[in-house]
Amino acid sequence: MTQTAIDLTTPVGLMLGLMPELVLSLGILGVLLVVAWRHEGPADSRRAGWLSLVSLGATGLALAWLFRAAPDDPGIGLMIAVDAFRFAASCLILLLSAGAILCSMGYLERERLVAPEYYVLVLLAVLGMLFMVNAQDLIVLFLGLETMSVSIYVLAAFSRGSPFSAEAGLKYFLMGSFAAGFLLYGIALVYGAAGSTNLVQIGAQFSLGGLSLMAKLGLGLLLVGFAFKVAAVPFHMWAPDTYEGAPTPVAGFMATAVKTAGFIALARVLYTCFQNSIDTWQPIIWGIAVASMVLGNLVALVQKSLKRMLAYSSVAHAGYLVAALFPGSALGVSAMTFYLLGYGITSIAAFALLAAMGRNGERDVTLDEVAGLAGQRPWLAFAFAVVLLSLFGFPGTIGFIGKWYIISSIVAAGKPALAVILVVTSLISAGYYLPVIMAMYMKPARAPMVYYDTRLGRTAGLAVGLALAGILVLGFWPVPALTITDGAAGSLTQSPSQSVAGR
Amino acid sequence: MNEFLTSISYDRWILNVLLLLPLIGVIPVVLAPAARAKQIALAVTIAELVVSLGLWWAYNPADPAMQFGVTGPWLPQWGINYTLGLDGISLFMVLLTTAITPLAVLSSFNYIGEREKLYYSLLLTLLTGMLGVFLALDMFLFYFFWELMLIPMYFIIGIWGGKNRLYAAIKFFIYTMAGSLLMLVAILVMMFQVAKSTGVYTFSYDAFLQASPQMTALAPWLFLAFALAFAIKVPIFPFHTWLPDAHVEAPTAGSVILASVLLKMGTYGFLRFAVPFFPEVALSPAVTAVVTTCAVVGVIYGALVAMVQPDFKKLVAYSSVSHLGFVMLGIWAATLQSVQGALMIMIGHGLSTGALFLLIGMLYERRHTREISAYGGLARVIPVFSLILVVTSLASIGLPGLNGFVGEFLVLVGSFERHPWATGLATTGVIFAAAYLLWALQRIVFNKLDKSENAHLTDLSARELLVVLPLVVGMIWLGLYPKPVLDRMDASARHYVEQVAPGFERQPATALNRAQEDRP
Repeated sequence: MTQTAIDLTTPVGLMLGLMPELVLSLGILGVLLVVAWRHEGPADSRRAGWLSLVSLGATGLALAWLFRAAPDDPGIGLMIAVDAFRFAASCLILLLSAGAILCSMGYLERERLVAPEYYVLVLLAVLGMLFMVNAQDLIVLFLGLETMSVSIYVLAAFSRGSPFSAEAGLKYFLMGSFAAGFLLYGIALVYGAAGSTNLVQIGAQFSLGGLSLMAKLGLGLLLVGFAFKVAAVPFHMWAPDTYEGAPTPVAGFMATAVKTAGFIALARVLYTCFQNSIDTWQPIIWGIAVASMVLGNLVALVQKSLKRMLAYSSVAHAGYLVAALFPGSALGVSAMTFYLLGYGITSIAAFALLAAMGRNGERDVTLDEVAGLAGQRPWLAFAFAVVLLSLFGFPGTIGFIGKWYIISSIVAAGKPALAVILVVTSLISAGYYLPVIMAMYMKPARAPMVYYDTRLGRTAGLAVGLALAGILVLGFWPVPALTITDGAAGSLTQSPSQSVAGR
Repeated sequence: MNEFLTSISYDRWILNVLLLLPLIGVIPVVLAPAARAKQIALAVTIAELVVSLGLWWAYNPADPAMQFGVTGPWLPQWGINYTLGLDGISLFMVLLTTAITPLAVLSSFNYIGEREKLYYSLLLTLLTGMLGVFLALDMFLFYFFWELMLIPMYFIIGIWGGKNRLYAAIKFFIYTMAGSLLMLVAILVMMFQVAKSTGVYTFSYDAFLQASPQMTALAPWLFLAFALAFAIKVPIFPFHTWLPDAHVEAPTAGSVILASVLLKMGTYGFLRFAVPFFPEVALSPAVTAVVTTCAVVGVIYGALVAMVQPDFKKLVAYSSVSHLGFVMLGIWAATLQSVQGALMIMIGHGLSTGALFLLIGMLYERRHTREISAYGGLARVIPVFSLILVVTSLASIGLPGLNGFVGEFLVLVGSFERHPWATGLATTGVIFAAAYLLWALQRIVFNKLDKSENAHLTDLSARELLVVLPLVVGMIWLGLYPKPVLDRMDASARHYVEQVAPGFERQPATALNRAQEDRP
């Protein structure tokens, strides 16, 4: 099938370049219309869920069309990027969001939260994320980020009966507003220093004259804003409380899709605007990475609630991801993108399983709450064990390939010290992942039949099954995913010589 | 035999089959009813043993290079290949593994009463992992298997172990993981060094071996990372504390596999990777002094601690620390005899300690205690058991005519030229070994039958005999006629010594050395 490449310099072409976002917007409006008339019972909620999945699917098709029709070199100065990096990131976000929606369907009915607006909010957040990852302009980036954040604030507080959920929403809202403020201030300073909000033009400006003090301040504030969004130390304080209080599928959505969007946008800003000032940001990135890895892993060790444990572990994973940005190479970006995929599908499954273990009324799941699970629900326990091993980075799972890739990108840059810190801190993580496996397999259950109502539900089961297949298959044969992430990273850095993969 | 093997092109598929067969065997174990799991597992492991036995004939003893090679791309983007091969060092590790596993399965028939499907699936996965470690010739593949076998062992200790099993399982896991993660970084650093000098991204063992002499500046750090991983696994003296816990808490089959196979992975790692990659660092005077000291301390300390154990299983566990000290001494002396001796101890220890753990397990199934003081005078009640226990213990002590003697003698002879003092001290370990094992035998098998509970013990059943007799036969065979084994490891051991300590094998000939030179 041959198609003429769309001309992005014309207004029509630019609209075509936003096709996936347009399709999704139409989908949101459609779901909203349906929900306006049908919002009574569980069946309506479920219908809204399936409709959202259909919109995500249509968005995916539009993305595939755009990927085929897009010109190789879009030229300079567009507000949106049309490159492989955007496509890979958008695909990932759609995938993770679909997983989160699948996990939500049964959960909302179980928790009697049948309000179909939930799915509209999720779709709106996805729209914001898509704009975050396609933004080649700081204004577009900010708009996308705010669209996403506002939807997530509401989602975090969605469990209206629970004070914890309200706390989660409020905390995330307050902290997130500050983060947005920092980010906006950073954008303003960068604009002041470079005279443009377009990433490519800013990059061209900075590579000529180096960074002024104003630009450095701007960079610092941008990093602060992003660090908030991806929950990296020292801006992680909101994460545990928010994850704990928010409905579990929302926490999963935040830990995966939101984090993906944040990291992709951060990588784009760093690599497009500041690719020549690597000496300026490398030490900061190093510090954030090490602090997140050390603190996240150490604090996760002492958590009683599994959800808080996963929250701190997500801080640690943010640290690994920041470490992948550290080398400043295409290899690093590819490693980061791959890790986002691995961490994403693993975490979606982890939170889905956690939601199932919370049972009716969403109890706080502790180690005792899962003791002896393997005897009564062997498949659930097996799935959770695989997920935990993947989070730990055990060979045979996608988590291992991801960690291997990050470590090799760091070692390739000639900085083995950071790699050593990474492996040592990830060894610490064995101290909190393994006890869960131990409790499930090696401790007796509190009573026979205590897990009679621990069920995944059909849709969440589908999501977990797919995630599990992804974890194991890509753990042995990651080549297809690697090809995509390598291409994506190459399109971002546009210097294939830096890439290692022996092509 | 050889014609038959050639006619079925044995050398082309054998290594793949060895790795795949147990994994395929997991499927029927999971699908069949729980009561059938053990029979299926036994059938699979016996099939594995039968298939692997062909290696004994198909292996060409004259060729020190890797044989039966298999290679194919795995992750071509990263230069990772699926490369397997076997030489005179790994040959016996593979045979030991395939021989011990069916016995371990057979010994579990009564011991394991719950969640049998999971148990036998884990044992089969573990078998693949262990063989993979010994066969892998790609560093990524090696690391993959090295980690992979951790999980089944962790579950076996943690689910079916004794009272303190959770603690022992996590200690085992964290200790091993701690070492191997640094090895992972070292492998990656080496890979990029290889890439720098050759321009090719590859994890192949041969490429690493060729490029390693150029890494002079990094060599000490890289060696340290590898050595730490292997030293924990061996375990060498200061890193041994996970071993008694894991051995004592593990179920019988777990202890047997731990002692017979898993402990050999550390010494195998030294022989295959750490020392050949960095011979200048490894055999430098400082490192040699440290390793030899640790080895000798291990020999003596392990023996002394074993002597005071009230628990028979713990006694045997500590005796492993002592035996592996000999192996380390032999590896570091790097003479032909000492390396062959080290390999012989690795095999012999696998047989005799494995058998001791099996016997302890049988005793435990009868009396549910492992306290030495709970027994006494067993020779009168269960003579067959007692006889086998005595023979096995004597083999472990190193009585001439049984397997332990050959290895220890070769190590001591081979090391004496290099480290007379250390060797002299290590010799006392043999004496201590006689002391702790004979004393234990006296208290368990002989003495008076003064505990009424022991008066009505039943002797070994046919199944139990079937479990231990092959090991006893192996011990006697290796003790009386080790030549076929020595012949098969000779070329590889010689190659290893030339590789790491060129010119050293032409030392003033001892009687044994001369005997070996004369051999056709």
